[in-house]
Amino acid sequence: MNRNLLRLAAALAGAAAVALPAFAGAYPLQVARNVIMYMALAITWDMLLRSGQISFGIAGLFGIGAYAAVLGVLRAGMSPWLSIAFAAAFAGAASFLIGFLILRLRTMYFSIVTLALAEIFRIVIHNLPEFTGGPEGVVLEGVIMKGSASGLYWLTLGGLAVALAASWGFEKSRMHFALTAIRNNETSAKSSGIDIFRWLLVAFVVTSSIQGLLGGIYVQSYGFATPDSVFDANFTLLPLAMALLGGIHSTIGPVLGAILLGLAAEWLKLRIPYGHLVVYGIIIIVVILFMPKGLYGLARKVSGAADRRRA
Amino acid sequence: MILDVKKLETGYGRLRVLTGVDLSVGRESVGLFGPNGAGKTTLINTIMGINKPWSGVVTFDGQDIGGKATHLVARAGIALVPQERELFPGMSVADNLELGAAYVPRAAGIGKRQLDMVLQLFPILKERYRQLVGTMSGGQQRMVAIGRALMANPLLLILDEPSLGLQPSIVAEVFERLARLKKEIAILVTEQNVRESLKAIDRGYVLENGAVALRDTAEGLAKNPHVVSAYLGI
Repeated sequence: MNRNLLRLAAALAGAAAVALPAFAGAYPLQVARNVIMYMALAITWDMLLRSGQISFGIAGLFGIGAYAAVLGVLRAGMSPWLSIAFAAAFAGAASFLIGFLILRLRTMYFSIVTLALAEIFRIVIHNLPEFTGGPEGVVLEGVIMKGSASGLYWLTLGGLAVALAASWGFEKSRMHFALTAIRNNETSAKSSGIDIFRWLLVAFVVTSSIQGLLGGIYVQSYGFATPDSVFDANFTLLPLAMALLGGIHSTIGPVLGAILLGLAAEWLKLRIPYGHLVVYGIIIIVVILFMPKGLYGLARKVSGAADRRRA
Repeated sequence: MILDVKKLETGYGRLRVLTGVDLSVGRESVGLFGPNGAGKTTLINTIMGINKPWSGVVTFDGQDIGGKATHLVARAGIALVPQERELFPGMSVADNLELGAAYVPRAAGIGKRQLDMVLQLFPILKERYRQLVGTMSGGQQRMVAIGRALMANPLLLILDEPSLGLQPSIVAEVFERLARLKKEIAILVTEQNVRESLKAIDRGYVLENGAVALRDTAEGLAKNPHVVSAYLGI
């Protein structure tokens, strides 16, 4: 019954999300688009985290997806739609090659290398001005779908749908067992016949492709890219904070976290234009200290305790 | 022979731990005894491909598995119950068992049969089927670990110190169950608890300083003066 209720809530939320442009103005739609994009990034970060690998490289994959999309249009004459697909494919291919090199690393060594990768991508693009536009970046002739607010919103929602579908796919398939086992105990995992490297590579490539896809959607929605805008550290830090707040190792956690933190960030920005990031940081610290399993973990604990009292 | 180990040498860094071990397991239950540091766990980890052999040959079911990746050794038909921390604590009993069969082709399509066999062997797991293993007692966790290994439909089951950290009555129970299994699956078991395990095995090896010091039948070992004084404490 509880599960059916959750399904109903998810279906209603989905319907409301799709119908939002019918009753929301330009500003709320813009905020929602932002929240949705970070939500999708938070989900992909969590998907890899389920294997125990903490990536700080979201901005890197997001950024190369973004540049693949703009350069696909400007240098190869792709249509904006094709360039978004190209962004996903390019980020996927790049992560496949990178994965061979770095997926032997674990814990903080993996994290540090992913962080460095994002920086390397940014510097490379910085220093190839003839091809990439260098530090000034590149501007597209126009925004996809002529900048229609509802169109851009639905496009971003489409990116979220891809992330959600992939995350549920991970949860419902053998992938879930493999990732959970690897996170818990690698020796036991491989002794059970799990090819650890292969599953990590699949998880890394899938999540990186989606991050690249979102980068492509992002630049096509704004019509320009500079190294500092698309490799912004916020594309790594905000999704991470959202997943931590909502609850890691689940799909619902990052979704909740993104809604709360995304809306809170917008509200804080209006209230405290110059200090909102400080408050934001404090929220993250408090969450990590007092709710290490996030809101979803807290809810499960509370409902578990309630169940026990009833029993 | 199902498992044949010949002149196996390995170690860590420059430290040589195994100095040429010969050991074989047929359709039987074989014990591996010896003091701490003799190399029992190292030997097992080398068979499983967790450690790489320096030299020597490991043959399993007719194929050379020396130095192969662990997941390939597991798929060839060896299931390991490692020493401690052997489970996935955040998963339920059901998930742990299902996982045992999920990635091994030999277990494909016969999951139900294996599950029935495991639940018959350890009925307590049926009662605790949906419980998270992290919340179970040490003895029950060990049963889940053995159950998970059996789900892979192994030709050879290797247990590294299955009695470690368990109370004596549970140890007796675990060994009684192992004795039932040996009719169907070859077993290699390392133990400090020589007295209990002698009841469950056919033959045994005593490993000392990285080499086989003694090999004999269970009865032979029970009467051997060295075993009696060093391991049975009589």
